Amino acid sequence: MSVENEGEVEAGFRSPYVESPVIMATVRVLSPFVFTFGLYVMFHGADSPGGGFQGGVIVGTVILLLGIAFGIETTRNWMGPEVPVALVSVGVLAFLLAGMGSVLLGGAFLEYSAYGAHHASRYGIEFVELSIGFIVSGVVAGLFFVIDSGQREGA
Amino acid sequence: MALREIAVLLFATGGSFFALSAAVGLVRLPDLYTRAHSASKGDTLGGLLTLTAVAIAFGGGLSTFKTFLLIVFMFLTNPTAVHAIVRAAHDQGIEPWTAEEEP
Repeated sequence: MSVENEGEVEAGFRSPYVESPVIMATVRVLSPFVFTFGLYVMFHGADSPGGGFQGGVIVGTVILLLGIAFGIETTRNWMGPEVPVALVSVGVLAFLLAGMGSVLLGGAFLEYSAYGAHHASRYGIEFVELSIGFIVSGVVAGLFFVIDSGQREGA
Repeated sequence: MALREIAVLLFATGGSFFALSAAVGLVRLPDLYTRAHSASKGDTLGGLLTLTAVAIAFGGGLSTFKTFLLIVFMFLTNPTAVHAIVRAAHDQGIEPWTAEEEP
C-alpha cells in the first residue's frame, strides 16, 4: 500500500490514510446527533426498548465514526489510550457502587428501594443503564483500536 | 380513494421500484464501483420514497416527525457510507472494470 501524507491534518503520524472532505463534513454534522441518540437509548432502557448495551454501542460508534473520518491513528492520539480503559473502569465501579450500596443499606444486591429516594427503582435502573453504557462504549472503542493496531503490525 | 391513500401508494410503489432496480444492479453490474453506484443511488432513493410514504401514512404528529428525521439522516449517511467504501477500495488499488475485459 502506498503511503500518501498530503491529506494529513497533523504531520508525523505514520498513516496511509488520506482524509476525504465529504466523510469529514458528514461526521462533523452527525456525531452530536449520534451521541445524543445513544444517551437517549440508554436512558429509555427503563420503560421502553433500549438500554445500556444498545446505547453504549451507539455512543461507541461515535468514536468509530471519528476514526473512519479523521484516521484511526489520529483519533487514538487525540483520545489517548487510557480513555477506553477509564470508561470501562468507571462503569464497572459505578455499577458495583449502585449494587453494593443497597446491600450496605440493608437491602439485597441492586434493590433500589433500599435507597429510599423518590422513584428509586426508576432512577436506579437509569443509573445502572448509564454505567453499562460506559462499559460497552469503552469496550467498543477499545476493541476498534486494538483490532486496528493488530492489523497494522501483522501486515 | 382518498388523496392521501393515492399519495402513499405512489410513493411506496416508487420506492419499491428504486429498491428493486438497486437489487438488480447489484446482481447484474460487473465490478465494485458500478455496483456501489447502483446500490447507493437506488437504495437511497428507494428508502427515501418509502419513508415518505410512511410519513404521509402516519398523518402528522410525532411519528411523522420521527420518520422525517429518519429520512434526513438516511439521506446524509447512505451516500457518505458508499463514498467511504468506494474510497477505501480505490486506496486498496482495486481497478475499475473497463470494456476491454469481460467480467
